[in-house]
Amino acid sequence: MLLLQLLVNGLVTGCALGMVAISFSLVFATTKIFHVAHAGVYTMAGYLTWSLITHGVPDALAMILSVAVCAIVGALIQNQLYDRLERRRATPLVVLIASLGLLAVMQNIIAAVYTPNILQFPSPWSSRMVSVGSIRLNYTQMLTVVIGLLAYVATVQFTTRSILGKRIRAVASNPFLAEITQLAPRSVYVYVIAIASALVALPGVLVPLDLGLQPYGGITPLLTATVAMIAGGVGSISGAFVVAVGIAVLQNLSLLVMPGEWSIGVTFFIFVIFMLFRPTGLFVAR
Amino acid sequence: MTRAIRWLLGAALAVAMTGTVSAQTIRFGAILPLTGPGGLIGTQQMRGIQFALQQINAKGGVRGHQIEVVFEDNQAKPDQSILSFNKLVDLQHMPMIFSAYSGPTLAMAPLATRKKVLMVNAGAQADALANASPYLINTLPTIGDEIAVLSKWLVRNGKKRAAILFENSAAGISGRDNYVKSFIAAGGTILAQEPSQFGQTDFRPALLKLADSKPDVMLVSITAAPQQMAQQYKQLDLKFAVAGTTFLQDPLLIADPAAEGFLHTQLQSQAPAELAAEFKQKFNVEMEFFVRQYYNAMNIVATALDKVLAEKKEITGENLRQAILTIRRFSGLIPVEFKTNTATVPFDLNVMRGGKDILLEELKIQ
Repeated sequence: MLLLQLLVNGLVTGCALGMVAISFSLVFATTKIFHVAHAGVYTMAGYLTWSLITHGVPDALAMILSVAVCAIVGALIQNQLYDRLERRRATPLVVLIASLGLLAVMQNIIAAVYTPNILQFPSPWSSRMVSVGSIRLNYTQMLTVVIGLLAYVATVQFTTRSILGKRIRAVASNPFLAEITQLAPRSVYVYVIAIASALVALPGVLVPLDLGLQPYGGITPLLTATVAMIAGGVGSISGAFVVAVGIAVLQNLSLLVMPGEWSIGVTFFIFVIFMLFRPTGLFVAR
Repeated sequence: MTRAIRWLLGAALAVAMTGTVSAQTIRFGAILPLTGPGGLIGTQQMRGIQFALQQINAKGGVRGHQIEVVFEDNQAKPDQSILSFNKLVDLQHMPMIFSAYSGPTLAMAPLATRKKVLMVNAGAQADALANASPYLINTLPTIGDEIAVLSKWLVRNGKKRAAILFENSAAGISGRDNYVKSFIAAGGTILAQEPSQFGQTDFRPALLKLADSKPDVMLVSITAAPQQMAQQYKQLDLKFAVAGTTFLQDPLLIADPAAEGFLHTQLQSQAPAELAAEFKQKFNVEMEFFVRQYYNAMNIVATALDKVLAEKKEITGENLRQAILTIRRFSGLIPVEFKTNTATVPFDLNVMRGGKDILLEELKIQ
């Protein structure tokens, strides 16, 4: 019973982390920007949804509106911050520091407006339970798995089948050539960050719906997602998603054989060893 | 020329006024978690001090001196507490500071020793606080005393097999160590123990692992997010009893139906109906546990200050500390005795039922 329940818990957490990982991978592989402010967008999505719901907006509509607003915020970050820095020939380090600064500003504004106290969503449906044999999951957890898998499949399909997806891959593969062939990398970057921000808004809403909202809650998922992106192979959507799920499952299952203090350390140690043998990551991006 | 004279007169008046204020108003500090995972409890603590201050100042202060307390928010973080401590002591020269939460209090204790500033803690209970600094006065006992009595009660009532959920913090680990020591000494068995991080809200993996050891009771030593823990305990349909200490005295937890039946020890501190009503009228909330603790602590400090002023001594951390230890017994809202710098106080065993915290039994330190 314990094994199964831990496995399922790992899958739920993994699907949420997977969405963060594929969205971050999409940004990094295309723009080469270490977009730390992504954690701020993740956090903002939850608070935005909470505000809308507490003001009487139906839950589903509140989530959709938050995703849309996050996409706009993402596009603005690219257009008003990263693009300006690039035009001024800022180094990647300067861009990283700007992104870190933006994250700090976003978190501080959220903490100032909402206080850093843990907030709960006023949505009783989200904690209703379903039992399948000995496994118990609430509605939010099930929704996280369903949306996580759908988001993964949709992202893979979008990047491989759609015209914009192909443009994104072309820009990611060779931005100079893309510029010459009039693929307009700058506008592609705006689309990419907007799409990634919409994607990261999904776990940004679902995780706090289950566990509560905190203004500084976005950093840990982003760090784990970064590891998943690198270990999965930079640029590989499948790699980022699979490794994110793997990390979460491993962290949960490690409790079977060791105390919780060790689970994070041991899990990441395994990945360090793995990277020594396969430094390009699990999947090679095509 | 006229302008220069006016300016000089203005400056002289300002200096005179500042001098008057500093002669009459005595300022202390309070470094509390006013926001963050501990914000709810920290706000209770602040209100307790404010309520006591209002009463003291309304009666003319202490020997004619009004008292003011400057509040600093540390979000229960040790590093932020150090910054606030230095600000209040080095820049504003405060001789006494209220503190809360074990980690922040332990972080500030060496500074209190070095700078001879009195710290008064009425909320944190890690064992290490007892010997952290001669300048740290704890107006409530350390967690070890509470856990020893709770462990005996649980074993006596058939809860002999226990699992421990503890927070990976100074207070949480101190609680865990005491549970292991006391529960085994009382004749019980510890089957498993699992940690959580301060502020973490996903307790499911730890709860599942603890449940797998099939305990009669889960002993809890967490100081943040107990409501989320209770909700996940309920969602996982766990059947064992849950018991904890004063750490579980959280209004949101008590009000949550998921915490139905949770047991916890709590230091005795009943507010008289008249006082509780006056508090409710002023703050529009109940006079909760930590309000009473810090209300009591403020009155202990005021009594010590009265002695220092009566003896015409300078208001320093050292003199205030000496006054508390010399007076020794304080018969305020919560009668406390200082045989050492840590008070001894009787406590109760409460059970959470129907959104209320109900007295189950009075317990005594044996």
